[in-house]
Amino acid sequence: MGIIHGEEMVLNIGPQHPSTHGVLRLKVRTDGEVVSDIYPVIGYLHRCFEKHCENVTYEQVIPYTDRCDYVASMNNNLGYAITVEELMGIEVPEKVEYIRIIMAEFNRIASHLLALGTYGLDVGAFTPFLYMFRDRERILDMFELICGARLLYNYIWVGGVSHDLPKGFVETAYGFLDYFEPQVKEYNNLLTYNKIFIERTADVGVMPPDVAISYGVTGPNLRGSGVKWDIRKDEPYSIYNKFDFEVPVGKGELGTVGDCWDRYWVRMREIEESVKILRQALKALPKGGDVHQAIPKKIRPPKGSIYKRTESPRGDLAYYITSDGTPKPYRLKMRSPAFTSISVLNEISRGWMLSDVIAILGSLDIVLGEIDR
Amino acid sequence: MTDDRDKLISEVVEKALQGDMDAINNIEDRVIRSKAKAALHKAKKAAKAVESSASDANEDKTETSPKAEQTIHQKMAILIEEKESGSVISQEGEEEACIYIKPESWESLAPILRNDDAMDFDSLQCITGMDMGEGILESRYNFHSMKLRHAIEIRIAVPMEKPDIYSIEQIWRIGDWFEREVYDMYGIIFTGHRNLKRMLLPDDWEGWPLRKDYETPQSYHGITVPKVKEEWE
Amino acid sequence: MTVDALYHWLNETFPFLSGNEILIVLAILIPSVALFMVIAVNALVLVYAERKVSAFMQDRVGPMGQGVGLHAGKWGLLQTVADALKLISKEDIIPRLADRKLFIMAPFVIFVGAFIAVIALPFGETIIIADMNIGIFYILAVSSFGVIGLILAGWSSNNKWSLYGGMRSAAQIISYEIPAGLSLITVIMLTETLSMQGIIQYQSGGLFSWIVFSSPFSFIAFIVYFIAAIAETNRTPFDIPEAESELVGGFHTEYSGMRWSFFFLSEYANMLVVCGVAVTGFLGGWQSPIPGYFNTAGWSIFWFISKILFLVFVMMWVRWTFPRLRVDQLMDICWKYLLPIALFNIFGVGIWTLIFG
Repeated sequence: MGIIHGEEMVLNIGPQHPSTHGVLRLKVRTDGEVVSDIYPVIGYLHRCFEKHCENVTYEQVIPYTDRCDYVASMNNNLGYAITVEELMGIEVPEKVEYIRIIMAEFNRIASHLLALGTYGLDVGAFTPFLYMFRDRERILDMFELICGARLLYNYIWVGGVSHDLPKGFVETAYGFLDYFEPQVKEYNNLLTYNKIFIERTADVGVMPPDVAISYGVTGPNLRGSGVKWDIRKDEPYSIYNKFDFEVPVGKGELGTVGDCWDRYWVRMREIEESVKILRQALKALPKGGDVHQAIPKKIRPPKGSIYKRTESPRGDLAYYITSDGTPKPYRLKMRSPAFTSISVLNEISRGWMLSDVIAILGSLDIVLGEIDR
Repeated sequence: MTDDRDKLISEVVEKALQGDMDAINNIEDRVIRSKAKAALHKAKKAAKAVESSASDANEDKTETSPKAEQTIHQKMAILIEEKESGSVISQEGEEEACIYIKPESWESLAPILRNDDAMDFDSLQCITGMDMGEGILESRYNFHSMKLRHAIEIRIAVPMEKPDIYSIEQIWRIGDWFEREVYDMYGIIFTGHRNLKRMLLPDDWEGWPLRKDYETPQSYHGITVPKVKEEWE
Repeated sequence: MTVDALYHWLNETFPFLSGNEILIVLAILIPSVALFMVIAVNALVLVYAERKVSAFMQDRVGPMGQGVGLHAGKWGLLQTVADALKLISKEDIIPRLADRKLFIMAPFVIFVGAFIAVIALPFGETIIIADMNIGIFYILAVSSFGVIGLILAGWSSNNKWSLYGGMRSAAQIISYEIPAGLSLITVIMLTETLSMQGIIQYQSGGLFSWIVFSSPFSFIAFIVYFIAAIAETNRTPFDIPEAESELVGGFHTEYSGMRWSFFFLSEYANMLVVCGVAVTGFLGGWQSPIPGYFNTAGWSIFWFISKILFLVFVMMWVRWTFPRLRVDQLMDICWKYLLPIALFNIFGVGIWTLIFG
């Protein structure tokens, strides 16, 4: 690689391309198959989220947060609700906390399944994608049971949740977990330890920890680089401190620490950890209690600003909310994890081949709705 | 009636401050209960403020031996003041914890924040632009240290007529995109940025949309914005 | 049923035209039309099979007819027919900046490459269109003809993705012909003939006379050939010229409608050819696995087709299981693994024959 140089060519990947996971455009400078520079052009999905938020009340923001990271809406709802609650000093009932954790972790599994499945698709394996979607479908069915929506829930409200758990939900959830746990092994056999998959992902797109931190990369991508940083553990919000779970980090088992395979593997392990949390949460879920008890009549936070981080499936999801004492936020900024993840793309994929760029992009697990907001 | 209510609330808040939360939780009426909780929160906050100002006063006297209770922002403000004297404007905001920095000293201060052993803020979490009204723009930086596990917020206020802030794009690489986004939305010029272009909006967009005085354009490239208001608006 | 036999038969049936050139044209045309039908039906069946096989592997049902009115028939049996109708009725789009002549030509070049290879496939003792004495050599030679079409398609589309696809496929197919050819050399060494029928005759006498089971080296040769065959037909894990998720279809990005369907036809025809060669060279061709039984003309067609279908099934199985390789890894596998193994095999088979043969 790199001995013979030809004429450089600028290649446009996207905005419409099967592997950009949305409407992302990459201006790629290539020398033959080898990529020398990548310039991501974002903003094709910009919907003025922050401008919208300044013009609606605090309650009305929640559906907008759904639409930012549309594959992990529960986590977005949760992050927003917790931020506003902290600003207002609301304490929510224990049952609500448990329901929220259950929803967030189910959505984390669903989101990771989508990430891993489409990653398989990016490197050319079609079947694992459908297997994972089959299982994700069951989670979405459960969400439908809870709130009637399959993708954009508007379920977690400030101070509570919109509906109590329906009858028979706990049994359904246990049924799913019993079914799902052995499936992880199947994914591993089919994709994770596939020789070709390892060839395509191990040692590819290595992101050293200092680069990852400097680029603000968080979540599974950062943990893939071997940095043990998980807000659920290090800065527990809600009731995450009550649960016993591990924070998986990339160890470079099949290549270098911080390669695509590590990022993939961290997500796979996180699915298992989420199952662990879910089992504990379902077991400890309080029976009675009113989920609407702490919902304030009027959300009118006191003057002030707050920056609150939560762990979404993609990393540190933070809301910066400034209130001026009116029912509408004075300023609401969303720090989206995918935004920072995509910014590192140029740094880690220079010098790799075109096919690798697709593999690296897939391993970062971006959601354009969240990048462009 | 309202007097009764207020009295009840103040009573339970008093009790709760002494650690008896049941007093609040036992209230039947939901409205009163939530009001009581809000009042409790306010009371707690006030108590905290008193405490912190008290510790502030202490620091002034015994600056050489800072107390353990001082917040991270106070600690950092002292450290920053040691390194770059005169750079800190104030180390508490009106309502919340933060450090206000003079725009002129940001250039020399940013590398210190990144490299100093006691601060070691290796992760730039977020840059939030803000239109404070009255012709003031603010850029708010949330830093975090992966090693020391602490976080601070730094604010820099600049006038709208000359919104120049030194760019930290080369110190924290993510600053590149964050600053471009703030530039895109607020028109804050980050001097020294190598590629300060619009990020989310089209390159030929006019105006700074998140400023409070921004007026929505009537048309874009010949596409008119529909005037009809929806019902929910 | 070779062209010669047909010509003789035509001469005898129509004595008044005896010796006329029309009969020669007829004798060529009739089998060609039949062959075209074979390829078309082959594509219809294989596309359906591919859909169903992939569906069953992926825990779904695949195309199913449901509801009243126009639909894809029971179990979706008419799905491919519907697809074909749709493709025929689609608008034929030629990009404005494309090299028009080459763009139109490319699908046919590819199709011709696949088409002329099929004529040397023996479906039975007498059921072969052209029984050449260099049959296997001929197939190897003409099957690389399709590469020209791929490069033409990639180049003439005037699209960077297509260009990548064309270049990749050229590199890939040319490389993989070498291990394929070398592993067929082991067959030729054993049978001492290049004729397809001769190779099959050598394997008469049941399952254990098939070349694939004759020595460990020939088994390896079969595996090498089969891997190379998958690569030559551009199927996953070697589908880098098309690479849906990278090159968005590669060389056929800009094609639509009928022209695109020709790529499809020739892809499946190519599968037929490479599997046909594998069956002929290693799996006893149209011979029955039990000596002396089921070896009439009808049975021979059955054996040949079912062996091919089995190999095609394996190809589909591989396709829906594995991820895709990268272009340099693809070359690594070819030049660093398959080629040395194939070369070593030639010695192995030679020594084996010397000792045991």
